[in-house]
Amino acid sequence: MYNYLEYGGSDQPNVPEQDQEKYEQFMARIEAGEKIEPDDWMPEDYRQGLIKLISMHGISEIMGALPEKEWTPKAPTMKRKLGIMAKVQDEMGHGQLLLRVAEDLMKPYGKNRENIMEDLLSGDLKFHNVFHMPTKTWADAGMVGWLVDGAAIISQTNMLDASYGPYQRALQRICQEEVFHAQHGEAIIMALAEGTEYQREILQESLNRWWPALLMFFGPSSADTTGTSKQDTMIKYRIRKSSNEELRQAFLDKYLPRVFSLGLTVPDETIHYDEEQEMWVYQQPDWNEFKQIIKNKGPRSKERLRLREVAYENNRWVREALSPEAIGQ
Amino acid sequence: MTQVTSAQEAMNDAAYLKALTDLLYQLADDDFLISFRGSEWLGLAPHIEEDVAFSSITQNTMGHALMYYRLLEDLSEGEADALAHEREPSNRRNAVYFEKKNGEGEYLTEPYYDWALAVVRNFLYESFKKVKLEALTKSSYTPLANVAGKVLMEQPYHLSHWKIWFNQLYNSTDEAKTKLQSRLEEAWQQFGDVLELGEYATELEHFDIISGEDDLKERFIQEVESTIAHIRDLSFGKAFGSGREGDHTPDLDQALNTLAEVYRSDEKAVW
Amino acid sequence: MSESNETNFYQEYEVFSKKSVKSPIQHQFSLLAPNEEMALSMAVENFMRREDVLDVWVVKRSNIRSMTSEERLNLTKRLDNKDYRRTKGYGYLRKKWKEKEQGMLDEKEIMSWKEVKKK
Repeated sequence: MYNYLEYGGSDQPNVPEQDQEKYEQFMARIEAGEKIEPDDWMPEDYRQGLIKLISMHGISEIMGALPEKEWTPKAPTMKRKLGIMAKVQDEMGHGQLLLRVAEDLMKPYGKNRENIMEDLLSGDLKFHNVFHMPTKTWADAGMVGWLVDGAAIISQTNMLDASYGPYQRALQRICQEEVFHAQHGEAIIMALAEGTEYQREILQESLNRWWPALLMFFGPSSADTTGTSKQDTMIKYRIRKSSNEELRQAFLDKYLPRVFSLGLTVPDETIHYDEEQEMWVYQQPDWNEFKQIIKNKGPRSKERLRLREVAYENNRWVREALSPEAIGQ
Repeated sequence: MTQVTSAQEAMNDAAYLKALTDLLYQLADDDFLISFRGSEWLGLAPHIEEDVAFSSITQNTMGHALMYYRLLEDLSEGEADALAHEREPSNRRNAVYFEKKNGEGEYLTEPYYDWALAVVRNFLYESFKKVKLEALTKSSYTPLANVAGKVLMEQPYHLSHWKIWFNQLYNSTDEAKTKLQSRLEEAWQQFGDVLELGEYATELEHFDIISGEDDLKERFIQEVESTIAHIRDLSFGKAFGSGREGDHTPDLDQALNTLAEVYRSDEKAVW
Repeated sequence: MSESNETNFYQEYEVFSKKSVKSPIQHQFSLLAPNEEMALSMAVENFMRREDVLDVWVVKRSNIRSMTSEERLNLTKRLDNKDYRRTKGYGYLRKKWKEKEQGMLDEKEIMSWKEVKKK
């Protein structure tokens, strides 16, 4: 669920002259809507860009399981316990699909899952800004399921025609499961919105807290904001179709009317739909804070990474015990 | 004993009802506590693929708990969610070993959970559960026999999964074997009440609601023998008393405080 | 033989499954597992949590000889001049039979011969 970060490679592909013909053939293929497979020739910045994008997407799913997981054993009914378990399980499963895709792309560099986990723990591999945020009440489980996942659905469906075959196929599976996630989130939110005073209170409080993170979700609208956005490369290579701002507008289009229909407000009095520009006008979140968050300096960054680290280190003996002795047997 | 085919019929016989209700609490609470411990593991397993597979087993198991709570609901014991979330520790009937924490730390901070404990406990749990379910398919209480039959449809996968983990780790490194071994020894000290049927054991057998404790224990030993050869020579202790009779440890308090935290936060709420 | 280390835990398996007796075996995805027994035990819950499964195959990826990128490019293209081996090339028969007030033995007709009248 992500796209805004810097992912190596430049906007001007550095294609060696002897590969120029291959490059043209490659571009012709993706422009004709063909899918690129792992062992096909691809420009280096395509591979690098995909590795950054997909490993971050994958690891964000794994890290994204953690905020909701905080509420999994605590879910208030048997039905909610089962629902949120299935949902968090899916997030882990999405991480699995995506990491497999990333791992295959990294193979030429001799890297594997172990390296991905180590890069995460060392801070080299970033995860999505929303998953650095704290959860305080059960309403946050609903908010993550409804609006954070809603934002994720918007950005993932935008890549359903991605030119890289394995990613496209993984996204196809993921988006199908997201339909369940969307409804799971709506169900929690609906119960709170139609519930007691306390329930409505924690719901509104949760939305107020999540709002800036939701706006940040899609990343800055242009490189000017943080100086690192490379959204254009991924558009050129037909991985994604829309810009960060277009995705954010689509999110506001789909979700704001629903937010208001539940009697909820967002903590931005100026927000309105501008009929002339045909877009939502909203207060910008603090993009400096955003930069800090994705550098693992968010409110819960350290704790979530620590959780992953403990699980990883603590189970090392299991992976060692079951490693087949011969390499490439 | 003739078949008791409905909740109404069971409620007409006070002695039968008492024994049946107690057994249903044992079944429901065992599955509920084991699946609660499983839900704490979510996201922390040795690798991602296992996390996903383990969670399916946990969900299935919580689904089984719910089926038993529903049978209790039918016997006018109260709503399933209330039974799962509200009952005092002393009214819980799960075996003590199943409430045991997953290891050191908490799931939210520093979860030094022990995969050896997970493997040993789940393997023993599923072995025992299979034996109990098979006995229950012949229960004089038809609704319970039906539930047992349904649960048996998906439970073989659980047992097979944990048996693979147990066998593979047990036959791998010395470190792994030592870890499993020490968790096994711990299990034997606490496993006694798992194999018991509680206060109404005699009535349960007499009414043919389930076969007797000796029979269940023998079948359990036969089930596990192929994996742990010396199990027949062991004695099973009750280091922390009998959960079947309401004895429990602080680990159960931690479990109940966690699983009922939101439920209790607003008594009037519908979630 | 080299010394056992953690990296070897991550072996690649391709997962295939069969949904119903009539459906062919279908590729699902790949997973990492230390051995095939483990791979099989995790396969269904990783990829087929919401669908029916009748059978599952796990195959170590290194045991699959797939086409290379070049082979896909060079060995999978054909001239479109093989009507003679497809029914399409025999469509003219429909008209001929119609003149003789007979139906053509097309796919629909032949596949309907499953049931033969009991004598």
